[in-house]
Amino acid sequence: MGGPSSDLSCLPPVDPLDDGPLLRVDRLTKRYSAVTALDDLSVEVPRGRIGLVGANGAGKTTTFRLLLGLAHPTEGSVEVCGIDVAADPIGVRSRLGYMPEHDCLPLDQTAADVVATFGELSGLPARAARQRASDILDLVGLDEARFRPISGFSTGMRQRTKLAQALVGDPELVLLDEPTAGLDPLGREEMLALVGRLGTFGISVLMATHLLDDVQQVCDHVVMIDAGRLVVSGPTDSLLERTGVVTVDVGTEGDKLVRGLADVALAATTNDGVVDVTVNGDHDLDLLRDTIAELGLPLYRLTSRLTSLDEVFLRHAAEQT
Amino acid sequence: MSTGSSLGAVYDRGYRPYEGARGGREAATFALYKASIRRALGLRRSWRQKVAPFVLLGIATIPAIVNVGVGYVTRNEAIDRVEIITYHEYVGVSSTLLLFVALVAPDVLCPDRRQHVLPLMFARPLTGIDYVLAKVGAIFTILFAFSFLPQVVLFVGNMLVSDSALDYVQDNLDVLWKVPLAVALLALFYTVVGLAVASLTERRIVAGAAIIGLLLVTSITAGVLVGDDTGFDDDGSPAALINVLALPLYLRDIIFLGEPESGSPLRGVEYGGLLAALAYAVVVVVAGAVLVSRYRWVEK
Repeated sequence: MGGPSSDLSCLPPVDPLDDGPLLRVDRLTKRYSAVTALDDLSVEVPRGRIGLVGANGAGKTTTFRLLLGLAHPTEGSVEVCGIDVAADPIGVRSRLGYMPEHDCLPLDQTAADVVATFGELSGLPARAARQRASDILDLVGLDEARFRPISGFSTGMRQRTKLAQALVGDPELVLLDEPTAGLDPLGREEMLALVGRLGTFGISVLMATHLLDDVQQVCDHVVMIDAGRLVVSGPTDSLLERTGVVTVDVGTEGDKLVRGLADVALAATTNDGVVDVTVNGDHDLDLLRDTIAELGLPLYRLTSRLTSLDEVFLRHAAEQT
Repeated sequence: MSTGSSLGAVYDRGYRPYEGARGGREAATFALYKASIRRALGLRRSWRQKVAPFVLLGIATIPAIVNVGVGYVTRNEAIDRVEIITYHEYVGVSSTLLLFVALVAPDVLCPDRRQHVLPLMFARPLTGIDYVLAKVGAIFTILFAFSFLPQVVLFVGNMLVSDSALDYVQDNLDVLWKVPLAVALLALFYTVVGLAVASLTERRIVAGAAIIGLLLVTSITAGVLVGDDTGFDDDGSPAALINVLALPLYLRDIIFLGEPESGSPLRGVEYGGLLAALAYAVVVVVAGAVLVSRYRWVEK
């Protein structure tokens, strides 16, 4: 079975369905006897593909339970798609899809039956639920396996089935809890491609994960939490900063470029077949361009390297402590 | 459909939003009710899952078929009608459906908990109460149907082999309300008790054994406390109420006879019928409370 490309740069951004924010969380606190899972969390995020990032135990799953109305806040309030969760939890759940992290599928049933049943549980008429189950299983790449019992599925196929049951009710927002957990690299890329595509369908995504690379790959907004507290929230692009290093791909001539740059006093190192060059201002960039031209090297790529979300998370977490 | 993009063709089939009618809690509850009935009857499952329910239905119907068959064979004989089993006694035959409860009540509850399906269900417009109602409704429906259908076979068969169908109906009009009521009370009792016990564990085999064990232990305990007097014409004992297995049958006696039947261990007990009704109500309420409490966690 083939999979989609992991290159998501061609995907258009999610078109907002209306002007309101996707989530509005106000001074949200959740305490369990001796543990404070969420502590005075306030954040507002727009519709789109949102990454909810934090280490294990940071409060991601608790946040999901509060969004679904399956847990009551100790203090504060939550609005999802403009609906107060405390006032109308059923109304909120009617608009959400949920994909838990752990195994949660009835193993002795076929994928088609499971997804159709959950479609009906989402309020769809039986015939429409079966039709949509077929369409969605097709969409997630399980069209040929849909009449097989789930007990015979691989981890990747089970993750796709979990995603399918979350989508079958045509939700406004789908909550994905560690969607790439347990997947091999290919399966992970395929799952991320699927998640990335959800935005093109007008479905907003809230993806909880501790894998910052996953978020960086598919999310256009990031909410970082640590120990139940907000670390930082903002558009992914605005959080990623330039590092003062440009990456140059000149094919197999990397060493020659490094030597040439040394002659003009630019520090450069080869790294995985590309050359990382430390630049300070436009003058250094001009020097780099001229050196490549003088050496007659092919220039395949020249990009400014950005900070990773890992660095952003660590820096903001350190600032808070 | 393929856009020809680098994403490949496998997933690129487009997505159609759903724009039709959408139900709320009631629709979700009804959907779960239907799914639970399908599961209990083994529909959309392997043939092995279908054997037990339909064999039990067949066994429960045999007395009715035999009774009607004998009536048909002897319809021209100059003797009184041969009645192998009465409507009153047939409700007792249906108590064998306890085996069915021990089999299917765990099967419709335990896997949801064991395989962690509950979070998926409660992420829908469904509450813990709705979940319990759907499960109780499903098992009750099947038990009622399996207890009532043989009685229908018996009634229609007797009517057809009688000398006058109209006279038979007129002579047995009371059966038309007594049987559904007695059968409904039996089905409700076994349903809530079976599901309440099954809700306490996530292992089907443990739940099934516990259901049978609970009923056997209470039956034996009541037998020991009441004693071995097989007559009980006027010296029954309130200790007979401990027998959970027999409680719906005591109510059946009240419905059909207005008092505990001859030979009943409640015979001669002052307010025996009322006590039986109270004990029945207490067990149903307690079992219902256990069930609800086991699924209230979703809103905590």
